[in-house]
Amino acid sequence: MEFLNDILIKPFADMAAAPDFLLQVLWEGLVGGVLYALIALGFVLIYKSSRIFNFAQGIMVVFAALTLVGLYEKGVPALLALPLTLAVMLVLAMTIERVVLRPLVNQPDIILFMATIGITLFLIGFGELIFGGENKVMITEQLFIPTGSIVFEPFGGFVSIEEKDLTAVIGAMVLVAALLVFLNKSKIGRAIRALGDDHQAALSVGISLSTIWVIVWFIAGVIALATGIVWGARAGVSFALEVIAFKALPVLMLGGLESVMGAIIGGLAIGILEKLFEIYWGQPLLGGNTEAWFAYMLALLVLLFRPQGLFGEKIIERV
Amino acid sequence: MKRMLRNAILSSALLAAASVAVPAAAQDEAIYIPNLAYRTGPFAATGTPLMNGQRDYITLLNERDGGLNGVKLEYDECETGYNTEKGVECYEKTKARAVVTQPWSTGITLQVLPKSNVDKIPILAPGYGFSPMADGKVFQWAYNPPSSYWDGASMILKNISDGNLDSLKDKKIAFLHLDHPFGKEPLPLLEVLAEKHGFNLVPIPVGLTEMQNQSAQWLQIRRERPDFVVMWGWGAMNAGAITEAVKTKYPMDQFVGVWWSGHDGDLKLVGDQGKGYRSISWSVPNSEAPLMADIKKYVVDAGKSQINQGEGEFDSVFYQRGLMISVILVEGIKAAQEEFDVRNPSPEQLRWGLENINLDEARLKELGAEGMLVPFSTSCADHTGHGGGWMLQWDGAKFVKASDLLTPDRAEIEKLEAEKAKEYAEANAPWPVNEECSM
Repeated sequence: MEFLNDILIKPFADMAAAPDFLLQVLWEGLVGGVLYALIALGFVLIYKSSRIFNFAQGIMVVFAALTLVGLYEKGVPALLALPLTLAVMLVLAMTIERVVLRPLVNQPDIILFMATIGITLFLIGFGELIFGGENKVMITEQLFIPTGSIVFEPFGGFVSIEEKDLTAVIGAMVLVAALLVFLNKSKIGRAIRALGDDHQAALSVGISLSTIWVIVWFIAGVIALATGIVWGARAGVSFALEVIAFKALPVLMLGGLESVMGAIIGGLAIGILEKLFEIYWGQPLLGGNTEAWFAYMLALLVLLFRPQGLFGEKIIERV
Repeated sequence: MKRMLRNAILSSALLAAASVAVPAAAQDEAIYIPNLAYRTGPFAATGTPLMNGQRDYITLLNERDGGLNGVKLEYDECETGYNTEKGVECYEKTKARAVVTQPWSTGITLQVLPKSNVDKIPILAPGYGFSPMADGKVFQWAYNPPSSYWDGASMILKNISDGNLDSLKDKKIAFLHLDHPFGKEPLPLLEVLAEKHGFNLVPIPVGLTEMQNQSAQWLQIRRERPDFVVMWGWGAMNAGAITEAVKTKYPMDQFVGVWWSGHDGDLKLVGDQGKGYRSISWSVPNSEAPLMADIKKYVVDAGKSQINQGEGEFDSVFYQRGLMISVILVEGIKAAQEEFDVRNPSPEQLRWGLENINLDEARLKELGAEGMLVPFSTSCADHTGHGGGWMLQWDGAKFVKASDLLTPDRAEIEKLEAEKAKEYAEANAPWPVNEECSM
């Protein structure tokens, strides 16, 4: 009976007893969710246009953030380092397309997936060689990202919102909105979607596969840079950032690999739900650290009923 | 015929010369010191300066003294990325020539521990590994000088209670730790001490993927309102925790970490806001020490170091601790050379050497490292030395010494060490123990 009380009643009683704390939990969940969604978006874009599961997305986050900080450390002003980093990501996208993807056109998906593992290993070694393995400080203030905190006092308690988290949420929303407009309204965006729907058909109407791949990998690079700035501002820039890519996997399972909307909603849902579960059920009943597995459990549950994810495309093949 | 005879004689002479030359060459061969390093992956930021320190002390001896007692030291790294499986692969790859194993992770240490009895290669894990390894009779091939994790936990509690653990009664201590064998290592001792002294221990694990986003853990800290937070963090977890502590406005003077949670790079992220944070440490950086002048002259200025001088790595706690780790190893090798009168000791002879390290204040002064390492000595029964440690405190820009030498509460720890060592030996039976050790 006490067990049922701990599961069904006490958590909700705790939420009601300290609503300010609940608000803080929800806010932290939302921030986490936005960050997960950002990482997942990088995966989705590349998968959507080329059917490649890009294992290198995590290391691209590290590489972009390290390039930005590295350039600044070499004396380049922050506001110049930002476009220069974007230029580096463009060169990276072009190189990947020319050296890795183009020779592998028409190869099975698994070969392309393995190639992205190769890209990951190369970027780890290359990044280490140029930037070293030390933890670096993200140039938050130099990029005019506010670093203070806003404190509210609702229900007699307090809720603290970090300005850089708020900037991250707003920045991510703007980025996602721009991306959606680009994908749905622009000519190139439509070409990307066309390629995602049917490679052969897209090629037959004159869409250039190599150009689109460069653009898509570049956009994934831009998202990686945004993710790197936001995560780097929280705990420094180092190769440890690579680990956060694993947080995107359950988001992709939940939202579906092909859906931009799925990545956003999946990311937000996982961010908020895993935080609520950890605080009100995980820590008191299971000793904590449930965030390591909760998202996967949730995704598995969804997959049981919707194997294509919440927003994925249902693939029906004639055999 | 004549030509054939001449060729035969020549070949025989060459063979004979070669057979005579082999032992001499073997004797002059460098002492092979592998290090299961990690300069890549999520823990690279903390691993790199340590490995640089280890490497540079060996380079110094080779450059300044021509090696150790006339034999060159061959330092070799095998990259593990702090991954246990890769660590075991590295162990297997290097063990044929290795005189010692430096596993560099509690997870890897636990994996190679049973192998050490078979391969007969000593494991040197300074300040890490399984705390009961202190019991040299049971763990005859494993060494964790100069202080074990349990020593560290005991010293932290002694320090925050001003020497009287009973004063912690009814207080709440959050134990924020990496959810990994390393992070869980002090838990058995902390649980015993919590029960004995009546404080409330709240273990808070941090998963590998949560290291950089510890908001849930710090929300729990906000809810629990602990009197102290003790951290057993490593790699990116340290930076994540310290930034969250600043964000949560947790009082820094109530936040204490183990020696692996006292990395300059992590604290530089928060700068002044981290003022007051403390970390127990068995080494203290002292860039003015004569040893450091030699490192600068023979290694750094000679372009033989891999340190990042722009980031102030030379003065950092971890770089100089890396140097001290090699000091400990070299003292063991030197003791073995002298005892057995050999230039290139075998792993078995090094085992004796590591059991007979005597790094007292006089010896540290002789090495030019006075005050940089806690003085300690080992024996066949005591593989740790239990030299103690100092509390280091972040002053906003660097770590400074903030206490006299602290010592662990050995009476309490010894009981637990004996109990857990016995448990381990029984679980891994048949486990050979050192019956020759009469101490």
